[in-house]
Amino acid sequence: MTSVEATESVRPGISFYEDRRGILSWVLTLDHKRIGLLYLIFVIAFFFSGVILGFFMRLQMLSPSTIMKPQTYNSLFTLHGIIMIFLVVIPAIPTIFGNFFVPIQIGARDVAFPRINLLSWWLYISGATVVFVSVFTGGGPPDTGWTFYAPYSLRTTVNVPLAVFGVFVLGMSSILTGINLVTTTHRLRAPGMTWRRLPLFVWGIYSTSWVQILATPVIGITMVLIFLERFFGVGVFDPTKGGDPILYQHMFWIYSHPATYIMILPAMGIVSDVVPVFARKKIFGYMAIAISGVAIAAVGSLVWGHHMFVSGQSDFANLLFSLLTFLVAIPSAIKVFNWVATLHKGSIVLEPPLLFCLSFIFLFSIGGLTGLIQGALAPNVHLHDTYWIPAHFHYIIFGGMGFGLFAAFHYWFPKMFGRMYNRKAAKIAWVIMFIGFNVFYFSMLLLGWEGMPRRYYDYLPQFRTLHLTATFGSWILIAGLIVMFANLFRGLFKGEKADDNPWDAETLEWQIPSPPPTENFEKIPVIQHGPYDFKEFAKNG
Amino acid sequence: MDEAKAFVFEEARDDTGAKLGMWLFILSELLLFGGMFILYSAYRYKNPVDFHHGSRELEVLLGTFNTIILLTSSLSMAASISALQRGQRKLSMVLLMATMALGLLFLVNKGFEWGTRIEHGIYPNSPSLLTRAKGEILFFGLYYVMTGLHGLHVLVGVCIIFGMLKLIAKGKINQMRFVPLENAGLYWHLVDIIWIFLYPLFYLIA
Amino acid sequence: MRPEEEPHVTKYRTYVLVWVGLVILTGMTLSVAGMELGGWTILIALGIAGTKSGLVLNYFMHLRSERPFIFSVIIPLVMAVFLVFILLTFSDLAFRSGVK
Repeated sequence: MTSVEATESVRPGISFYEDRRGILSWVLTLDHKRIGLLYLIFVIAFFFSGVILGFFMRLQMLSPSTIMKPQTYNSLFTLHGIIMIFLVVIPAIPTIFGNFFVPIQIGARDVAFPRINLLSWWLYISGATVVFVSVFTGGGPPDTGWTFYAPYSLRTTVNVPLAVFGVFVLGMSSILTGINLVTTTHRLRAPGMTWRRLPLFVWGIYSTSWVQILATPVIGITMVLIFLERFFGVGVFDPTKGGDPILYQHMFWIYSHPATYIMILPAMGIVSDVVPVFARKKIFGYMAIAISGVAIAAVGSLVWGHHMFVSGQSDFANLLFSLLTFLVAIPSAIKVFNWVATLHKGSIVLEPPLLFCLSFIFLFSIGGLTGLIQGALAPNVHLHDTYWIPAHFHYIIFGGMGFGLFAAFHYWFPKMFGRMYNRKAAKIAWVIMFIGFNVFYFSMLLLGWEGMPRRYYDYLPQFRTLHLTATFGSWILIAGLIVMFANLFRGLFKGEKADDNPWDAETLEWQIPSPPPTENFEKIPVIQHGPYDFKEFAKNG
Repeated sequence: MDEAKAFVFEEARDDTGAKLGMWLFILSELLLFGGMFILYSAYRYKNPVDFHHGSRELEVLLGTFNTIILLTSSLSMAASISALQRGQRKLSMVLLMATMALGLLFLVNKGFEWGTRIEHGIYPNSPSLLTRAKGEILFFGLYYVMTGLHGLHVLVGVCIIFGMLKLIAKGKINQMRFVPLENAGLYWHLVDIIWIFLYPLFYLIA
Repeated sequence: MRPEEEPHVTKYRTYVLVWVGLVILTGMTLSVAGMELGGWTILIALGIAGTKSGLVLNYFMHLRSERPFIFSVIIPLVMAVFLVFILLTFSDLAFRSGVK
């Protein structure tokens, strides 16, 4: 359990790619950087699968005529949700960039528990395999929605047991990652790396990791109960045996709402790291951003009932949860103000990482504001289970977390791969994606406002035009994604060799070679200044 | 090129870090069972009389005996660590074996308890159980799931302690390096704490 | 081993005393169950269980002798989280109107 065993460089000083070779040296690696890349490959692969499922969903909804059975559509949106949420959005930033960069940013050689880190990856792969097997076995893919609501999930003849077991395994992976990163942050900071000098990305991952540890077990036990219910008829959520389906929803959302903060906090951490670099200015309100992340994690664990306003929950609970939901907007808004204040009078460098961060701020704000509207009780009665809800959460998850992820790709690409992608192509991809995104999801906001129900495979003629624009928007968005990924893949193989510090940043990862050596640092650094103390800052004062 | 032995950078064993990691894992386990306690509270709140009837069918003496067994096993577990810290290796191993034996005894008792319930036709989805009041169905559903999940953790704990015994025998865990044993102890005590709550909530509400 | 990590070796006597306390508390909880105390029974039972857990956490699990600040925070933290989950869930369950 020592970090020394982990980063045994065979030949110190050379890149972590060259240090050891062969497939076994990758799938059995203890190097946090290699583990980060292993996650990267699969997260991207699962993201593509999720996009393809979404593509077919939008194809079905292009016109009122149907190209598939209703049952197929139900399975499509269920799998789209399970894959995107559990295999992509929840793990992505902590497992790829948290693993790769937190140790380096704090001046360590690896995470606290490298072997547990490898186990986390294997659990991730196993959980994903179980989910994919559930598609082809035992009655076919689940059709319950990714939410697996009882009692339908107890009765439907498709392969719910295997799917929920997969989610359980993925949950274990997530908990172990959380434990690893919290311990790493507490124990492995280099001399002089005080909590107030940590990059805000580390603060973001730290807050996220606490939520992973504390909230994930609740969905773990809930999935186990669905499984036991199906095989042994235990009865805890089955109304015919006295069970309460609303209690299922409580148990499910006690995790799944905080899970949305597991999704967004790391992305916010990326924005907090990237904006200062491309504004050439210290972050405005460092402590406010750090603590607001903790506040979001804390208050965000108190709002889950806002998914249940029309479920039959008590009026009193509705009032409480609505009030708490309004409160959680405050720390998020603090971050938005502080990012904008950082940009104000900064020396803006409009590179791809910043573009993705700017669109994050814009799209996340729309997502957040729509969240307030649906967080109010009266509008929720009309908006619940309409297209408004998926539009809202795609603004937050895709517009927010997704674009934050893409910002991370474009920011850390030169460090991870030692090469640079074509910046012009990246900007073009961004423009296409931004346009496509808004055409697509704004149409969905309007559809929901007008009453189009979600998870329906067909619709009334009055919704036709907006469904058309939404689908066209989705095609534009996908085109942008293709350009972006093609550009990045090309950069991987044909890109120019990158400097160690192409963005002129001050955090520790930019002070070591690109790509880094296995041991990260020749000598553990002694930290003497904050993460955003740019030399220009001394002049601006 | 000679694949020479690895370069080692700093001697950096971190015992506190290892313990912190284990404690964080314990937090997650507490919330895993916590979820079940939420369900228990909810259904007991809704069905107080049925829960009372259900509890009457459990054998209080056996439950109490099992509680004492687990508390004693925690004593032997904790003492085994002190023994190892003092260099009393054999005593440490004897205490660990006692812990394992007590754990297994707990499981045997639980097996008998379940066995008699099942003989009386009380198990999830049994025809006889389904004729009873809803609250009683829920009581026994929760009983089997919670004590079952707990029993599974006892079994895993016994295996972990067995693993520790082997490592002590080989000298890999010793007076100078005993944090793995401490962490095993933390797991075992967690299992004890969960039972400390399960016991009154299932056996003592008659 | 770092200087701050010199092990705190607990005396066997301490462990045995804690065990005695635990057994006594178990006896107490058993006898309280036999009494007619209505709504208080559950609170007393939970209080006794909490006390027993506190003994196990602090003495068997050495929580009170761990130095770094984080150790003094984690159990209160998990208790607070659990409390919040259960209280908010009951804000629904205990206040439903109409058909149960």
